[in-house]
Amino acid sequence: MLRRTLNSNWFYILLCGFLILLPHLIGWLTGDSPLGVRGRPVGQSIYWQGIFIEVFILAVLAMSYNLIFGFTGVISFGHALFFGIGGYILGLSLEYTDMTAETGLLVGIVITLIVSTLLGLGIGLVSLRLKGVYFAMFTLAVAEMFFIFFGRFALTRAEDGFSLTELPEWIDPTRNRLVFYYIAMTLFVLTFMFIRRLIFSPTGAVLLAIRENEDRAKTIGFNTLAFKLLAITLAGVIASLAGILQVIFNKKVGPELLNVSYTIDPLLMTIIGGTGTLTGPIVGAAGLHLSDRLLRDLVVTVGDTSIDIGANWTLILGIIFIVVVLIFPYGIVGTVNRWRAKRRA
Amino acid sequence: MRPNALIAGLIAIGLLVFGFLTTPDLGSFGITVMSGLFQGMLLFLVASGLSIVFGLMDVLNFAQGSYFMVGAYVSYAIHHDPSVTAAIPNADLRFIIAVLSATVIGAILGVFLERVLLRPLYSRPIFQIVLTFGVAIVMTEAVKFVWSTTPYSWTSLFTLREGFFELFGQRFAVYRLFVIAIGFILIIAIGLLLQRTRIGIIIRAGVEDREMVEALGINVRLVFTLVFTMGCAVAAFGGAIAAPFLGASIGLANAFLLSAIAVVVLGGLGSYGGTAIGSLLVGLAVAVVANFASSPSIGLPVLSSMTPMLLMILVLLVRPSGLFGKGG
Amino acid sequence: MVDNLLEVRNIETFIGQFHILEGVSVSVPRGSISVLLGRNGAGKTTTLRSIMGITPPRSGDVLFEGKRLNGMRPFAIAKLGIGYVPEHRAIFKGMSVRENLQIAERKAGDLARKEAFIYDLFPDLERLIQLAGGNLSGGQQQMLAIARALVPDNRLLLIDEPSEGLAPVIIEQLMTAIRRLSGQTTVLLVEQNFRMASQLADRFTIIEEGRSAVDGQMSVLKTDSALIQKYLGVA
Repeated sequence: MLRRTLNSNWFYILLCGFLILLPHLIGWLTGDSPLGVRGRPVGQSIYWQGIFIEVFILAVLAMSYNLIFGFTGVISFGHALFFGIGGYILGLSLEYTDMTAETGLLVGIVITLIVSTLLGLGIGLVSLRLKGVYFAMFTLAVAEMFFIFFGRFALTRAEDGFSLTELPEWIDPTRNRLVFYYIAMTLFVLTFMFIRRLIFSPTGAVLLAIRENEDRAKTIGFNTLAFKLLAITLAGVIASLAGILQVIFNKKVGPELLNVSYTIDPLLMTIIGGTGTLTGPIVGAAGLHLSDRLLRDLVVTVGDTSIDIGANWTLILGIIFIVVVLIFPYGIVGTVNRWRAKRRA
Repeated sequence: MRPNALIAGLIAIGLLVFGFLTTPDLGSFGITVMSGLFQGMLLFLVASGLSIVFGLMDVLNFAQGSYFMVGAYVSYAIHHDPSVTAAIPNADLRFIIAVLSATVIGAILGVFLERVLLRPLYSRPIFQIVLTFGVAIVMTEAVKFVWSTTPYSWTSLFTLREGFFELFGQRFAVYRLFVIAIGFILIIAIGLLLQRTRIGIIIRAGVEDREMVEALGINVRLVFTLVFTMGCAVAAFGGAIAAPFLGASIGLANAFLLSAIAVVVLGGLGSYGGTAIGSLLVGLAVAVVANFASSPSIGLPVLSSMTPMLLMILVLLVRPSGLFGKGG
Repeated sequence: MVDNLLEVRNIETFIGQFHILEGVSVSVPRGSISVLLGRNGAGKTTTLRSIMGITPPRSGDVLFEGKRLNGMRPFAIAKLGIGYVPEHRAIFKGMSVRENLQIAERKAGDLARKEAFIYDLFPDLERLIQLAGGNLSGGQQQMLAIARALVPDNRLLLIDEPSEGLAPVIIEQLMTAIRRLSGQTTVLLVEQNFRMASQLADRFTIIEEGRSAVDGQMSVLKTDSALIQKYLGVA
């Protein structure tokens, strides 16, 4: 059995191995230690760890979005809500209570899980009354409301937000980035494995059936509401975990966490990477974030106009998005899959 | 139909009474009502296109707020541009040209969006929604690219903008009346178009059953393009006439999109009358709440920007088809 | 050789992945009333929709007055002179009877010219002209749907199950009206009600599981109870 698992997943295992070794590889190649210099986060290895941490977080967020949108066929424009709620709860638990850093962290995570589950169930229940576009509008309104509210709420320092100063030392990305890198990577791998398991299970088959034709799934006898609730809640919980990682990494909590850009980004990444595929969101997240970082300082000169790629990245991204939706609706991974299927036939 | 009109009337009266009770004097009440009507008219200009396009084409154009924003920027740019000012020193004439140009540009962008981007996706509704979302992002970014993120306030004056009048001891800008008047004229004009003209009959029939309309020998796709373009043009027009008061800023897109969606949900997707009434109700509600919430005893100005969202959520939960809609 | 107004040659139509029509052929001579017969789900409605271009055939040909309709959009097909009266009538419930008729005009003045004829066929409509479509009874809606197809100069009428859900008295009125208008317009009918079909139509085509099985003269079919039993399951 182990042999079979190894055979069919060799690619993923290889990739995991690569990711585990990456900080050390870079450290070895550049001479900068993966642990920074005297406990301070400097050096190429540290830099790239940071970039990949961001990729992991975005990939988890994108995979969670793909669970609702790509696999179950439900359009949600309020994903940022879960992401931000996770961040805020953890931040509040650490900064605004008298608990020790470790307890605060633990309590924060537990409360986040509870709250995001309840929120997911609540929003999911609304989908009983609202279909398609109406549900999308509802999620947009709710997320926007939370965004406005948290942006003015005095308790959480409104627009400015607050910093995380009481982090447990072992998880602090400034002092122990390597540890945090592995934590982020673990969540990333676990999320992928979990979703993969789910999609290939009978439950996953029902979700896909709902995406194809919900009414037909209902007439077959499935309680589509229960399954949609499951998908929405799971996705929400996973997104909130990504939010927790995000605030720990940035050591900052603010209303920007609830900004619609954290709904748009996973949407973009999922569609460009490949809606409804397992690796699509990862490809999208990695591809887009790495491109963003690498091209950030690039300035292209055409004739006598110079275009600052970094500053206009969102514009370029938007155009790529439109092109993908029109011409490559299956995204990168999806189009490759179909191309390979055609060649086999 | 009747009981819903009654409910709408009750809501309006309720808002007015609440507003009256929470304003210190008749003058401020007047300002609140005017502000509400002003806002409501602008909302109508964005929401009307949204509603009819949804009723006819089953597409919710998430880029509608962006057209409003583009209209504001174009109108601002033309009126303040030094070379235009040199060529057309008459500020009033320049204003008319600015507004017209903004409307035309809105129409051109609208045709482009519908023909080039939306049409290939008729068979994939999920992607249509997602596409308009993407277009909204691109339009916002494009505006940032051309004009930077700094908001602009309208400084170049023209006759209408400079006038004031007094009522109940308060000064009101004549321009507000102008916008309200234009709004009313358009509400009636579009209403007449829908009721009395052939294209109006086609649109109303198409909202009910577009397959049958096509079977009657009418090129429905052409009607789609026409209606969609008009919706975008009217939204751009709205932004253009709002600019002298609201300026031109990126935030306009999102703010007006969300409020317009709230209007359409409240009034009922696909119902023209519902959109008109919904616009006025939402505009009034926001003004009344803003006035109430900013008073020292309450101190929660955030409530007014949350009002459209709250209304929308309430309607979606209680009665998704809105006041006059065709069904959720 | 009878002049065929409409010729459907071996069309195959898919709806999604479902192979609904697997080879349907129908000939409709000019000036006749032809009927498509068959059990529920056989593909009769889909045949009409395929002719109209609403669910275009994937293969095979549809010829109207000798002209191939393949690949044409429904509105273009309609403009050639074909009127479609769908199952469940599809009148516009929020609009008045007058507006329902007006929208069907293809040239200015169509309604003015046809009004007298339409009110002669369906006197009720004149009385109800201002009423909203949704306030009409089932029978009145059916009359409106047919009247709507008579407003422009249509040479062929496709009528899908006009008697569905209507009382026998109304059905009699409908039959009279259809018989009268067939003098000027060719009719292709889909009718589940065999009694009505047999009294109205000259020619028939039986569709069974997506294929055209038998066709011929109605006068012959009426006497062949074995055939009727085999394909229609009704004596």
